[in-house]
Amino acid sequence: MKARGRCWKFGDNIPTDQIVRADRVLLSMQDMAKHVLENLNPDFARSVKPGDILVAGKHFGQSSGRAVAPKAIQATGVGAVVVEYASRLFYRNCFEIGLPILECAGITNFVHDGDILSVDMTDGRIHNETTQQTVYANPVDPFLMDMLRAGGIIPMAAKLAGED
Amino acid sequence: MNLVEKILAKASGRTTVRPGDVVVANVDCLLLHDLSGYITSRVFDNEVRRPMRYPERVVMVFDHHFSPPSEERARMLEENRAFARRHGIHLFDCGSGNIHHVGVRRGFVRPGTIVVGSDSHTPVHGALGCFAAGLGNNSHAGTVMPFGKAWFRVPETIRIELSGTQKKGVVPRDAALWLTGQIGEGGAVYKALQFAGPFIKDLEMWDRWLFPLITIDVGGKCGFIEPDEKTIDFVRSLTTEPFDVITSDEDAEYVELRAYDISDLEPQVAASPTLGNVGPVGKFAGAPVQWAELGGHGGGRLQDIRQAAEILRGRKIAPGVKFNIVPSSREVFAEACQEGLVQTLHEAGCTWFPPSTGSNQAINMGAMANTEAMVSTHARNFPGRNGSPEAKMYLGSAYTVAASALAGKIADPRAYLV
Repeated sequence: MKARGRCWKFGDNIPTDQIVRADRVLLSMQDMAKHVLENLNPDFARSVKPGDILVAGKHFGQSSGRAVAPKAIQATGVGAVVVEYASRLFYRNCFEIGLPILECAGITNFVHDGDILSVDMTDGRIHNETTQQTVYANPVDPFLMDMLRAGGIIPMAAKLAGED
Repeated sequence: MNLVEKILAKASGRTTVRPGDVVVANVDCLLLHDLSGYITSRVFDNEVRRPMRYPERVVMVFDHHFSPPSEERARMLEENRAFARRHGIHLFDCGSGNIHHVGVRRGFVRPGTIVVGSDSHTPVHGALGCFAAGLGNNSHAGTVMPFGKAWFRVPETIRIELSGTQKKGVVPRDAALWLTGQIGEGGAVYKALQFAGPFIKDLEMWDRWLFPLITIDVGGKCGFIEPDEKTIDFVRSLTTEPFDVITSDEDAEYVELRAYDISDLEPQVAASPTLGNVGPVGKFAGAPVQWAELGGHGGGRLQDIRQAAEILRGRKIAPGVKFNIVPSSREVFAEACQEGLVQTLHEAGCTWFPPSTGSNQAINMGAMANTEAMVSTHARNFPGRNGSPEAKMYLGSAYTVAASALAGKIADPRAYLV
């Protein structure tokens, strides 16, 4: 439940259409990952390393609720997503597919693109190693933390439905 | 409790729920379209591998493809058809109409029920007194298809009361667009939005439809309108299936009340890059457009087609403008035929397209080059949804779309209505 890596910083109100364009959604996940956020920062998909942290602004992942958007981010190797706040569907989808996400008001003022961050999902601690400062994200609902630990909704579905 | 809380309580076997509670509830209807349905079907067959528990509750509508534009897409639709046959779910093939309109017209959406879908505009069904929310593919494949259930966090409710009478040339879609700007993108994240007040109460059902439609774009989980006699008559005209009408308690709580008088509103336009970029039509008047369209989740209703015909009757659209009309359902097309609107708009220079979701995401129509612009009744205007990320999309009422098609640029419809 921890991630450490380079911060890739994006802006406000980014729709899922910009995370993965509609004409890319039939690609394999491996190929889709090569196009994540391509219109906003073509360097991102080319250079992102496992564990890197994607930081974005307000209402991240608005528009279409397709779960391939967080899945493609996950496939790039991103270790955690930290946003000012997420669209409801994007937030739900992250836990359902097992991608760590935190909401932290002020995060876009706290980091610069290229900073080294470490993120701990269990207590919401976000440490900026470059500036040596620490902030805490909003706590995550225990139900969603259980889902994340299970690896998403599918492994816990039968239990959730009371049929385990 | 309000109707959303009552529906969630009933469907999860509780007597009461409160905002913040997480419940697992029985789902009455799952609506999928040809794209989200394809993705969901892959997850269900490859990762879940269980039987479909209630195939009669699952509906797939091919609405992004009225006809496949490539072999790859033809293959995808064939896989969807095979999935539908294999699991016994309902399938409405190319040419049926927009997912949400088909869901309503074919009687799958009924008051007091829980409707879910991967399409993010699924909350529109709250117009019929349902609890309706968009969920992700993994919820559908993981819990709805194999168990008939889904998890929900009970949302807090914002009550929006609208009153007043609109002036000539200003229509409910203008009020809905304006309201998007008032609430703001992300202004209601995770909330339920209750649309109420005399203005909403007086609207006919397909105009009420336009209000819960904006829920997702202001960040909400669901939107709803209290069902009344109008709702019951409307649904009874579409289905013989029984349903329980659930209404909010008089003392139901909400976290916020917003009241607006819409009497002074002018026609509204929302310009790319987002819906929040909305203002009176005068702010954008004069911006050139090469394309016009009635279509998508909100457009292509009979009401839109009537408005366009009112402006275009006996006139011709501007040279260089292509005006595409996409009926929301086969029923809408039949009604437009009966009213003579098909001929009127054809003679004005418009082109009729098959019932579908039109150029929503430009899957089989409506892509633009970087130099082009469209004015439409669509629900969204994000860059890259219609071809080039530099192409522009202006959203407005069917009046505004038709007036702009006549002028070849964004135009105030009131100049054409006498």
